[in-house]
Amino acid sequence: MESGESGSLSAAQRRAEIRRRKLLMNSEDRMNRIVGFTKTESENNAGTLLRPAEPHFHLDLDRTEPWSSSSSSSQRPSPFPPESSGLGSRSHGATPERRGSPLPDCGEPPGGSLEDDAGGIRQRPRGERAPDDLGGSPRRGLQKYLSRFDDAMKLRGQLANEKPAQDGAPEVEEFDPFRIFRIIGSVLLAVFVRGFVCRFLSIFAPFLTLELAYMGLSKYFPKVEKKAQTTVLTAALLLSGIPAEVINRSMDTYRRMGDVFADLCVYFFTFILSHEILLLVGSETDGPPGSQ
Amino acid sequence: MASGYAWFLVLGSVFLCNLMKTLLPTISSFLTKMVQKDAEQESEMRAEVQVMKKEQASISMMDEFARYARLERKINKMTDKLKTHVKSRTAQQAKMKWVVNIVFYILQAALMVSLIWKYYSDPVTVVPSKWIAPVERLVAFPTGVAGGVGITCWLVVCNKVVSLGLHAVS
Repeated sequence: MESGESGSLSAAQRRAEIRRRKLLMNSEDRMNRIVGFTKTESENNAGTLLRPAEPHFHLDLDRTEPWSSSSSSSQRPSPFPPESSGLGSRSHGATPERRGSPLPDCGEPPGGSLEDDAGGIRQRPRGERAPDDLGGSPRRGLQKYLSRFDDAMKLRGQLANEKPAQDGAPEVEEFDPFRIFRIIGSVLLAVFVRGFVCRFLSIFAPFLTLELAYMGLSKYFPKVEKKAQTTVLTAALLLSGIPAEVINRSMDTYRRMGDVFADLCVYFFTFILSHEILLLVGSETDGPPGSQ
Repeated sequence: MASGYAWFLVLGSVFLCNLMKTLLPTISSFLTKMVQKDAEQESEMRAEVQVMKKEQASISMMDEFARYARLERKINKMTDKLKTHVKSRTAQQAKMKWVVNIVFYILQAALMVSLIWKYYSDPVTVVPSKWIAPVERLVAFPTGVAGGVGITCWLVVCNKVVSLGLHAVS
């Protein structure tokens, strides 16, 4: 009798324990769901070591180190203590462990010291992991999407902060000394070419020579550090996975092309203007036809 | 062939458009002030709130709690009213700015289209074609006149130069 009773008690205790365990197992998930973190997210926080290196999307356009070294710092933190790290370190036979549980643990949890240190880190039971293994790649895709979503939110915030500054001046062309020198040089050359050179050769030949000279002279002028502007285009390029270094170099190239184009426009404008002025002066010097 | 001062006409139009563009914020705020009739009411409300706050600061909450609380309620009510007023004013300002911008861009587009239509086949000016070799075809587009400067090329050049100039001046 007594043994049966004790057997039933222990069975009841066991059932109670199982129920309590089940409730405690899901508490973290419940909390994550409450604050908006999905279950898959909180699981994959622990699996970050095995994720492939992802591009780092924060707006650090000055960085030059390769992307792979920065992937570990782009993790989305969960508000709750992460589970034991590494998929590989988990054992599939892991059983839940609770603080103050009267029952001994049924199995050794992997990284037990980590769990003790973190205080409250639990392991997932086998039952919960099985579907994870099957949905590994969609979860990774979801995680990737979520991390990009985070970066998009950060970029949006940064764009919103920079928007008032850019609102009144969509094309901010700063006049540094070299730029002023270029424009003045283009104007003077155009006048000189109109006066003395255009009869002999094309007007664009001296212009090309001038641009080559500017390329050589640029190193003698103080370099003005241009702030990398965060525009919607750069944000979109960053989010699509193009490295910041490539974007920086492309923007630099486009900036240089823009400078050359501006010089060409100034040169051509000055040339035509001086041509028209000379025609006007020449016609006035000749006088009206009736007067001669 | 090219009329005498077509280049100057195009240059003047581009200059006017760019100048108007820089003055757009001023124009929209001016129009907003003209349209808004209760602008004084806002400043009166602000002054009233300031006065009440000063009065409240001079009252001791311990000694005259009822009066303090009454003033507090009045200040809160006035502040809420002011916030609503400011919100509607801001919305009206944004709307006016939007309308002014739209109207400007429509007018600018109409002006550009009419210039291109007028000088589609006539160059704005003509120079000897060997001066602008080897890009004489590109420069002459869409006129096709040898040595001519087409409206599109001249528009682009004027736009760039005028924007540079206005930026330097401003």
